[in-house]
Amino acid sequence: MAGVYAVERPPSGFNFENCRRNKSLIEMGFQPPRAQKTGTTIVGALFKDFVVLGADTRATSDSIVADKNCDKIHYLAKNMYCCGAGTAADTVMTTDMIRSQLELHRMMTKRQPRVVTANRMLKQLLFRYHGQIGAALVLGGFDVDGPHLYTVAPHGSTDKSPYTTMGSGSLAAMSVLEQRWRPNLTEDEAKQLVRDAVAGGVFNDLGSGSHVDLCVIKKDKVDYMRPYDIANVKGVKQGKYVYPRGTTGVLTTRVIPLVVESEEVKKVSGEAMDTSA
Amino acid sequence: MGSERYSFSLTTFSPSGKLVQIEYALAAVAAGAPSIGIKAQNGIVLATENKSKSILYEEHSIRKIEMVEEHIGMVYSGMGPDYRLLVKRARKLAQQYKLVYGERIPTPQLVQKVAMVMQEYTQSGGVRPFGVSLLICGWDEGKPTLFQCDPSGAYFAWKATAMGKNYINGKTFLEKRYIETQDIEDAVHTAILTLKEGFEGQMTSDNIEVGICDETGFRVLDPASVKDYLANIP
Amino acid sequence: MSIMSYNGGGVVAMKGKNCVAIACDLRLGVSQYNTIATDFEKVFQFGPHLFCGLPGLATDTLTVKDKLRFRLNMYELKEDRKMSPQVFTSMLSNLLYERRFGPYFIEPVIAGLDPKTGEPYVASMDLIGCPEKPEDFVVSGTCGPQLYGMCEALYEPDQGPEDLFETISQALVNACDRDAISGWGGVVYIIEKDKITRKTLKTRMD
Repeated sequence: MAGVYAVERPPSGFNFENCRRNKSLIEMGFQPPRAQKTGTTIVGALFKDFVVLGADTRATSDSIVADKNCDKIHYLAKNMYCCGAGTAADTVMTTDMIRSQLELHRMMTKRQPRVVTANRMLKQLLFRYHGQIGAALVLGGFDVDGPHLYTVAPHGSTDKSPYTTMGSGSLAAMSVLEQRWRPNLTEDEAKQLVRDAVAGGVFNDLGSGSHVDLCVIKKDKVDYMRPYDIANVKGVKQGKYVYPRGTTGVLTTRVIPLVVESEEVKKVSGEAMDTSA
Repeated sequence: MGSERYSFSLTTFSPSGKLVQIEYALAAVAAGAPSIGIKAQNGIVLATENKSKSILYEEHSIRKIEMVEEHIGMVYSGMGPDYRLLVKRARKLAQQYKLVYGERIPTPQLVQKVAMVMQEYTQSGGVRPFGVSLLICGWDEGKPTLFQCDPSGAYFAWKATAMGKNYINGKTFLEKRYIETQDIEDAVHTAILTLKEGFEGQMTSDNIEVGICDETGFRVLDPASVKDYLANIP
Repeated sequence: MSIMSYNGGGVVAMKGKNCVAIACDLRLGVSQYNTIATDFEKVFQFGPHLFCGLPGLATDTLTVKDKLRFRLNMYELKEDRKMSPQVFTSMLSNLLYERRFGPYFIEPVIAGLDPKTGEPYVASMDLIGCPEKPEDFVVSGTCGPQLYGMCEALYEPDQGPEDLFETISQALVNACDRDAISGWGGVVYIIEKDKITRKTLKTRMD
């Protein structure tokens, strides 16, 4: 719109102001740092009238365990959740953006969003960035057409399959799924299967670890179990290293007291309508 | 957008210092269907008339009371198409806030942002002011809030108010009936009574709309629930 | 050399009982081994109960500090209320992810008390803003790996402000001793409902 004087609007989308500097730093021989990865084993399995999602809870940066209990099953809508593997920030932000778009879509159409809709939104977003957004996702949900399960790869290709897995532990998880998945398992059997698949990743892939989170999505109900199973119980600490007070050499101490000096309660009262505007 | 020659602002001061375009916009609001907003202790009610122009018209196909966020609702008096654009903008603003701060937008913040959009249309080239006044209600940290937003971009906080056709009568009625300690059920009752003041013809659950905002969030009542409330109206 | 270790330094934050602590070293180096300052604080105060440490490339530490201050001031002016640590984390995460393809080289640590409930809060994130909110402690910087080890051994839940100070100080001092490009003095902030205590530490200067 021409001639907008009044409103300052923050620019939307990504900001590339540092790219040139960062590129020249790399050309000078500095290593660019790596972002946090989820490593990850994520699993999704589809059954007659529900879908089960599962994930481990380890986040790594290089070989350091950055988070021992991170959340990889992300909320998209009341009837839809999405597991994320790959670059941790990308999976969190991508799913949050799609959550936002689905909410707008839900209010606009006054209908519960469908899983295909989320799938389209995700693949179109990821394809736009040619795999630069490193999010590998397992999307599951229940809509008017029943339960659905999709896999979304970082480049934007998607699969619709009865059981699927992503992340560095996917080979271990898939071996469990290939052997034991049946279309009409009961809910308890299904939960056990997905737990075992994720546990396959937890114990055989070093990028995955800690606990198993599960999410069962049924017609009008979601069971989000975090943690579903504590696959690795942390040992009890035997000793205590408590330093006696005064051990640390202190050079200066400054105490900044925070005192409430005054409290003011403002009441907003209604004014007459300003018809002169 | 468009040729530079025509992109001057249409909202220009008259020699007496008035912005007549904004006054005309307010006239469009005053000619629009009435809408009411009342704050109660445990919630807020929005109500409006949604009369069909003809018996051939498909009822309930167009909604006038809309949800902006889980805890915020909106209604208007004036021009429908302008309203729908503002609803879309308001929803987007609410979602943008949520993405940045990870929290639901406080109602006063949303009102301020929507008012800013409306103000922009009084000072920009190639556009006209919005022909609507909005009532925006929300539930923030255990408290109800109710705001009115005018085409000029001015906004006010109300305990109860009426807009649109017969708004002066509606407000006089509310001034007499308003009780600060009433609960939401009584507020719905009062809102319907206020609408009834200037209502032409028979009031049914098909030609009015009621929305309620409380601690559980915002919702538009379905015709069956409206019918229940109407049954208690003398 | 990684660009993250051009200047060196580390930050750690820990939860206690009704209090949190955040600490950093004071060294500023260039090209890793050349120390040029020993009063370079990497932890900044953003509210009465809100602190944020920004270890990494020092130029970005200062840039991001200013950008955060700007966004925080705008929020507090617009909304007429203090920012909670949760909202601050979200905002910072957003600021960093905006630059997903040309990031600032910092890995922030946040510590604070909830302005309403007084609940302790610590969080950290990677350089493109993936937030992480554990129950005990967060570490960051070139001595991050050493800090992980120290904190895993020393950390006890529900410590009072005095004991928490000893724990976090010993974690920082001993971690810095095993990192050539961190150390040269340290600062600890203990954040309580009614006061902030700032202590500077006596450390090895080598």
